[in-house]
Amino acid sequence: MAWRFLAAAGVSAHQGLAGDEVLVREVGVGRSPPTLKLYTYRPHCALVGRFQDVDNEIRLSFCDEHDVQVSRRPTGGGAILMGPDQLGVALALRGRGDRHGRPRELMARFSDGLSRALRHFGIDAAFRGKNDLEVAGRKIAGLGIYRDPSGGLLFHASLLVDLDVELMTNVLRSPFEQNTERELRVVARRTTTVREWCRGVVMADVQAKVAESFASSFGVAIEPSRLSSDEENSIETLATEKYRSDEWVSCRGDVRDAAGSASIDTSAGTLDVHVALAGRMLKAVHIRGDFFADDDAIADLEWKLRWHSCEDSGVEATVRAWARTHPGTDISPGAVTEAILSATAAAFAVEPPYGCFVSPGGVDT
Amino acid sequence: MTADRSFHIPEDRHYQREHHLWAKPDADTGNVRVGIDAIGLESLGELAYVALKDVGTQVARGESIGTLEAAKMTTNIVAPISGTITGRNDAVLADPLIVNTDSYDRGWLVEIAATDWDADAATLVSGAAIPKWVAAAAARFESEPGAD
Repeated sequence: MAWRFLAAAGVSAHQGLAGDEVLVREVGVGRSPPTLKLYTYRPHCALVGRFQDVDNEIRLSFCDEHDVQVSRRPTGGGAILMGPDQLGVALALRGRGDRHGRPRELMARFSDGLSRALRHFGIDAAFRGKNDLEVAGRKIAGLGIYRDPSGGLLFHASLLVDLDVELMTNVLRSPFEQNTERELRVVARRTTTVREWCRGVVMADVQAKVAESFASSFGVAIEPSRLSSDEENSIETLATEKYRSDEWVSCRGDVRDAAGSASIDTSAGTLDVHVALAGRMLKAVHIRGDFFADDDAIADLEWKLRWHSCEDSGVEATVRAWARTHPGTDISPGAVTEAILSATAAAFAVEPPYGCFVSPGGVDT
Repeated sequence: MTADRSFHIPEDRHYQREHHLWAKPDADTGNVRVGIDAIGLESLGELAYVALKDVGTQVARGESIGTLEAAKMTTNIVAPISGTITGRNDAVLADPLIVNTDSYDRGWLVEIAATDWDADAATLVSGAAIPKWVAAAAARFESEPGAD
């Protein structure tokens, strides 16, 4: 069966998210054909993950002052900033077979379309972990999968064609009081963009290559099309009733968010660690200090500790395994473990709400 | 089942084969407890968030009774049977990792007063059919490159 191809530019946060949900539902029940939608958001939209606390993740006053729309995705992961330079990808297919099965394989399968497109621009990207597409260890796209009760499967991605790091750090909360030059450099070093590798490329060319590459990856034809009037009506209703509603955007779960910091002196220098937790799960770990370590090594450890249980033995095992692969780092794994566990203990000791965080890549989907 | 990957699947309950949920009637109340089985957890990884529909909600088999975000994906939790939700596990809502550590006991998700347990049970895997189903699932994991 040929896929339907939809393209859109400058959609609102509510219309974009409602559009994705309607597509996956209609495709899931068989009323619409498999659909690939490539689109950009209006400047700008801040989208939190399904279960995130919007007050903790987004600087809402900044968004109010700068006309940044805020909404909540149906997919998981961290908060993201979307606008004209970030390509949204929504692929809606009918789910088959084992509904819990093989998420990692599904993600790798779906991300192949993006990897192929990036290769056209001379960018060698690879799928990593839960939801990252990376280039030389730097995140270029955030990925997500959502299964609708209808049986539809939504693959969702945000591809960084370009990124205003300063704007992103103004919109998304950070564990640091000030967005210093150093912190901006850290965020910039852990993300990359299509234009960093292929200067001057325009969004339309990226969009065309992504569409072509998905068709090639899945061995299907794609036919440019448009939404049906029923779909348009459903999107309008869902945008108003759900994605624009305070009940959805500001909903809170029962899992307690917390954050804490620790600073310890070691023979190699001072080690500062900040952790953000969802219950007993480490959502993000930020490691700084004046010891010697390759930035990539620290980024690798921060990545390994994302969505990681905060249980002592598990953290220690992960840090020791990391240290074995980065022997040139001055700081001892024992000191790193101690700092992380101290920061975690501090997080459990304070009452929410807390000043929140930006995930290391800052572009989760 | 291979030596490399085995799953603990107790034979005292029924299983929804696609969504990897278990269902077990309580001998005293008749309500059916629902949770995630070991194969489902293998695919999901550690759970970060769980949201469940309110007590009193009527659900039909196949409808969503909640959503979860795990280390590997976000998904709906789909009712393995039809009925009315009579209980939610508040401990799991506050600490979803309980599901990973004790999925068949403290990690249950909801209790449902079944509309027609016998009819729904017939759609689930149970008893002598369990080992074959588990073996097929284990073989599938082993055959998939990159599965973890």
